[in-house]
Amino acid sequence: MSRFVLWLDNAGDTEDLPARIGPKLARLAELRSAGLTVPEGFAVTADAHRLAGKSASMPEEVRSEVVAAYEELAVRCLRMNPPTAVRSSAVGEDSADASFAGAFESYLGVRGPDRVITAIQHCWASMFTPRATAHLLRHGRDHRDMPMAVGVLELVAARSSGVGFSAHPVTGRTDRVVIEANWGFGEAVVQGHVTPDHVEVDKDDGRVLRYDVATKQVLSAFDPEAAEVREMPMPRQLRDRRVLDAEEIERIAEAVCRIERHYGAQVDVEWVIDRGRRSGEPVTIVQARPITTPTVESGAWDPAEYAARYAFGEQRAFGEQRAFGEQRAVRPDHP
Amino acid sequence: MADSVVPVDEFVTDEWYPGFRPAYGHAPFVVEPFGTFSKEDESRFWFLDFHWSRGLTPLGLLWNEDGYGWGTQFAAELMPLPTGRGVAQRIAGTHTYAASIPVNSPQEVQRRMDRMRRYLPGFLHDFESTWARHVAELDEGFQYFRGIDFRSVPLERLAPLLREARAYHRRAFEIHFAMMYPLLANFRGFCGVCSELGIDSDEIGKFLQGYDTKIAETDRELWRLTRAARSAGLETVFAAHDPERLNAELIAAGGAASGWLAQLTDFLDVYGFRTEGTADVALPSWREDPTPVLGTIKTFLAGEHDFDFDAAAKALHDEREDAIDRARSQLTLREQRIFDAALASVRAANFRWWQDDHNFHIDLRAALPLRWAALAVAERAGAQRPDDTLFLFWPELMAVATRQGSIAGFASIIEARRQYFEYWHERRGSMPRVLGTIPEFVDDPIMVEIFGLTRDYLAVTRAARSGAVVHRVTGIGAAKGTARGTARVLRDADELYRVLPGEVLVCESISPNWTPAFARIAACVCDGGGMMSHAAIVGREYGVPTVTACALATAVIADGDVLEVDGDRGVVTVLRSAS
Repeated sequence: MSRFVLWLDNAGDTEDLPARIGPKLARLAELRSAGLTVPEGFAVTADAHRLAGKSASMPEEVRSEVVAAYEELAVRCLRMNPPTAVRSSAVGEDSADASFAGAFESYLGVRGPDRVITAIQHCWASMFTPRATAHLLRHGRDHRDMPMAVGVLELVAARSSGVGFSAHPVTGRTDRVVIEANWGFGEAVVQGHVTPDHVEVDKDDGRVLRYDVATKQVLSAFDPEAAEVREMPMPRQLRDRRVLDAEEIERIAEAVCRIERHYGAQVDVEWVIDRGRRSGEPVTIVQARPITTPTVESGAWDPAEYAARYAFGEQRAFGEQRAFGEQRAVRPDHP
Repeated sequence: MADSVVPVDEFVTDEWYPGFRPAYGHAPFVVEPFGTFSKEDESRFWFLDFHWSRGLTPLGLLWNEDGYGWGTQFAAELMPLPTGRGVAQRIAGTHTYAASIPVNSPQEVQRRMDRMRRYLPGFLHDFESTWARHVAELDEGFQYFRGIDFRSVPLERLAPLLREARAYHRRAFEIHFAMMYPLLANFRGFCGVCSELGIDSDEIGKFLQGYDTKIAETDRELWRLTRAARSAGLETVFAAHDPERLNAELIAAGGAASGWLAQLTDFLDVYGFRTEGTADVALPSWREDPTPVLGTIKTFLAGEHDFDFDAAAKALHDEREDAIDRARSQLTLREQRIFDAALASVRAANFRWWQDDHNFHIDLRAALPLRWAALAVAERAGAQRPDDTLFLFWPELMAVATRQGSIAGFASIIEARRQYFEYWHERRGSMPRVLGTIPEFVDDPIMVEIFGLTRDYLAVTRAARSGAVVHRVTGIGAAKGTARGTARVLRDADELYRVLPGEVLVCESISPNWTPAFARIAACVCDGGGMMSHAAIVGREYGVPTVTACALATAVIADGDVLEVDGDRGVVTVLRSAS
């Protein structure tokens, strides 16, 4: 077994997995063994980063393993130099007291062994960016006890992608799945650079409660010339077009609920619909994490309680607060 | 902030109507008596009560005692209202300004809140039977007074009858507010649920619409009479004479007109025990003076089309069911359970329905027995004019009724009071709509929902203090749709027949007796009134774009201005000024 490379489909279910490849990649491996569809790929372990230390260059024994793994990935994807997502996955990244998500870098659309290695080195180096350093300091952490694993994952050819929440990100209600969707890759959605389509689904009966088609101005797409995913203006024909059909919504909601059940906690999920996916096939999950915002259970009608709250000045119905359909759920903590 | 204070100085006085000095305890009250303005009142927020735009005669001021000083304050203690003790009033000439009486101690608010929580569920549970019982009680009382032949009752018998009529009046408004506060509290709670569930606030009114009320029933009967007049060939008689002359002309016409007048009498026997304004002993009932009915039928006849009540009722019903289906379709199953329970609650105790229906049983008739007794006293005591007793205060009237005073002794005072009434009637249009310290917001639910004292209203009022020229007023979009038309600015309901088809009715507010006009106006604009005011309800029932709570519409808009009324956004624009 390799010391520096660990395949997600072969990671096992050992308790030390988060310590070896970071919780983010460990969750992907775990979801895969739980039967969800996640991208092909491997983790460059925290040990590799420890070996490299503070130096920016990659030690030879790591490099050879990474090159071999990337070649294996090409075979698995049946494609020469497959484009990848190279993602930071720091050990201890989302311990309970501090959310480090978003502090470190990720690179999308990276092709070829040399570029992959460079991207991995950039991920390592992102531990020392001013943003990451400030973050570590704020949480009283040291980079030495947070070594960085890096995931090298097949870049799914995204027809559409977005996020899914098992609890409403604004109201905190837990009886509906909220989905946001855009054409192409999900970066523009998670960065909040686009107003995506907004969908709400009843968890109990799968009914689509609302589907707000947004005018989507920005698209994240793979640029083969630059070999990266970058943002560009949305083609006119797609701008006001509804992103998801009923079957896709059903599959996404299903995956979100399944992940919620798996963790026994509210989650948010990044999903992708592969261009090659056929109706009935599952959607691909590229990230999932527990939600930290407080949730609200639907209560019961209690006239005295509501009168106290809304008739006599404790709260104002339709006062200054906006209706929650207008409020966009932007995740501030995305990488 | 100086701009937020409207000085009360011009109304600070100990004077009442000429020749009256209130004795201690002359008026009943629960928490705060009704009186004149003092300088200290400037720290509170007062608004000109739109219900009595004519002004109130001395006997009419009984309303302030029985309705506000007793009814609201009693009901506010009964439930209780956690944050308020009902409505206080100050008189400025013949006009009244109202203010809420706050509960200032947080500790006490908490205790009252606890009591309200214990009271409300039982009230809602029993609402239907309670209201039915109250209606029966009010009706039995009313039938008692109807059974008395006031034309022949001797003076000795009138004093006890006056006391009974007074007790009936007070009891009617006790019931009124004991019903209104909890209904309103529940309605506001329902609005809160809808807000939490993400339901559009514009939809809420629809959920409760389309249930038949006694007021709607009356309007339907008026249209039936209109059709009967048309088929009896009476259109030319109606077209040729002013409403005041119509009764005499129809009697003189004989023939088909006699048959129709018999139908009118049947109508008045059922629906005619109502006044042409809210809770005012000075106003005759339709039965006493059918001029408003004849005037309304005259305008209906002048229009080209009948108002199709069945179609309108069906449209309201369908719109209600569609709105409910649409709202439910956007809710999860778990949320639907909350919504359904809340909707069932506000339907069973339907504030919107009650807000219309109760007027038939209370506001439009509760003062009639007092009026009959007072007019009988005038006649028996040998007054110069039949309505002289309406210009006496209650203790004075009782003195005349018990022969402790003579009506002749009041002759010059009554004459002075008539002039005083006229003087203040003229002055009404230029009186400040609000007085004292204008707050950021008011949290008494009646003030907000009925009087329309929303944050926007208060903001507009504050802005107008700075003297800006206004071409646009904003309020609450109470009934949707947009319409243009010529403004007809009215002060009293008795001018209502002046409104021509297609005009925009602009007024301080409307009471239920204004509703027939909605079959012919293009739009309605009111200074006051919230989402649940009469204008809002009637505007929606008739599909007439209506904007309420404009604060200053009657001050800014002149007769003949061309207006655009946007009932969706709650905006009124003066497109062309008449001047």
